[in-house]
Amino acid sequence: MRTLRILFAKELNATLTSPIGYTVAAVFLLVLGYTFSLTLFATKVANLQYIFHQMYVLSILLVPVLTMRSFAEERRSETLELLLTAPVQELSIVLAKYAATLTLVLGIFTLSLVYAVILDRYGEPDWGQIHAGYLALALHASLLVAVGLLMSSITENQVVAAALSIGIFLMLWFADSVSYLLSPPFDSLALNLSLIGHFKPMVSGSVFVSDIGYFITASMLALFLTTWRLAQR
Amino acid sequence: MTISAIDAAPSDALIQTDHAPAISASNVSKRYGPVSALEGLTLDIHAGEVFGLLGPNGSGKTTFMRLLAGYLLPSAGRLMVAGHDVVGDSLAVRRHIGYVPEAAPLYRQMRVGEFLAFMARLRGVPERNVKGAVERIVDRLALSAVVDKPTRALSRGYRQRTALAQALVHDPDILILDEPTNGLDPRQIIEMRQLIRSLAGRHTVLISSHILSEVEKTCDRVAVLLNGRLLGVRAMADTPDLEAWFLSLT
Repeated sequence: MRTLRILFAKELNATLTSPIGYTVAAVFLLVLGYTFSLTLFATKVANLQYIFHQMYVLSILLVPVLTMRSFAEERRSETLELLLTAPVQELSIVLAKYAATLTLVLGIFTLSLVYAVILDRYGEPDWGQIHAGYLALALHASLLVAVGLLMSSITENQVVAAALSIGIFLMLWFADSVSYLLSPPFDSLALNLSLIGHFKPMVSGSVFVSDIGYFITASMLALFLTTWRLAQR
Repeated sequence: MTISAIDAAPSDALIQTDHAPAISASNVSKRYGPVSALEGLTLDIHAGEVFGLLGPNGSGKTTFMRLLAGYLLPSAGRLMVAGHDVVGDSLAVRRHIGYVPEAAPLYRQMRVGEFLAFMARLRGVPERNVKGAVERIVDRLALSAVVDKPTRALSRGYRQRTALAQALVHDPDILILDEPTNGLDPRQIIEMRQLIRSLAGRHTVLISSHILSEVEKTCDRVAVLLNGRLLGVRAMADTPDLEAWFLSLT
């Protein structure tokens, strides 16, 4: 546990001292602010659903920028050799990177709460739906960070890691569209893999255990594979 | 600026051949697919000695060191470090070693003191002892002038010394140094050599090099590797002409 804490502190410090995190946060909030103002003035409805969908898309594009460095940079600069020859479990290294990146993403998401506060000030938003929406976003971020780390662990090229991550996210996003082209049982398999298929109900306020299970299982699987990849010597 | 010699003692008295070896390799091989990087290596390294691995680039020196450090796993054979199996008890092995890879990697965003404290914690130094351990190693390796500098701003000599400091900060039994004089100027090479000699006895030191004179001046015993195979092992005291012996083997 002490090792995990030490590694987490190191990763969080690296994340917070890197300009990448701030750039991503700035782009994220700028786009969200623009969308929020536009939607609010156009619809005059106290609803954050549109914003949540916007955050879903932006996360898919921006989380790979945060995760691409994680292992790829350590491998390129050969500091991974220092970590893997210290008395440290591979799982601790993976969990520390996962927790640090997820903390940053959730921190950026938290800043968007200002929109909920504005809606509450001037209207009567459905807070149940907003809570469900943030739960969906947190689970979505967990999956994206875990898969992003996995992609970063298989290459020492950061751009390749980011491209692979975005590719996988887009495939998962559109998996439900592909399901119409497939025959049983592959159609239901593709449908169940769909990222948006599990995200949408929660953002609408319908929280199903199966949807939560999807995000948690996919995150754990990606973290397991990342650990396994690191253990390959 | 010179590096202080620590616990220096006559090296001849330090080769403890009557004790269990600090490092024991038995028929160790490492393959990358069809490519064999190390083939059937059998070798014992005694506690307290400075042991040199000599060979050209690609001879298997780095692979052997990475196997000892737990960064790679052997494809075959048995490798024991400080009495622990590198495959079955890798974490225990890693607690007993300090390792400096050839590139002497450092975390560029950290300052020297911060980096050493991080590595000390990672290598299991109790929190209450971290500050003292870092101060001792900074003093020992004459790093006080750069302790507050970011590691990315260090010269090659200080980089190498900081890399060595991280390997020594937890006072390991066994020190593995891959090409420790790589890129150093002549004065820094002499200082590094003195430092390594001063570690003998208290630590078992394994160094790799492709420079004959370096091994000759630093090591108690030397092994020659070529194409992943061990060609011979000799005590330096029994090798008046290392160059001739090396040429006769290769």
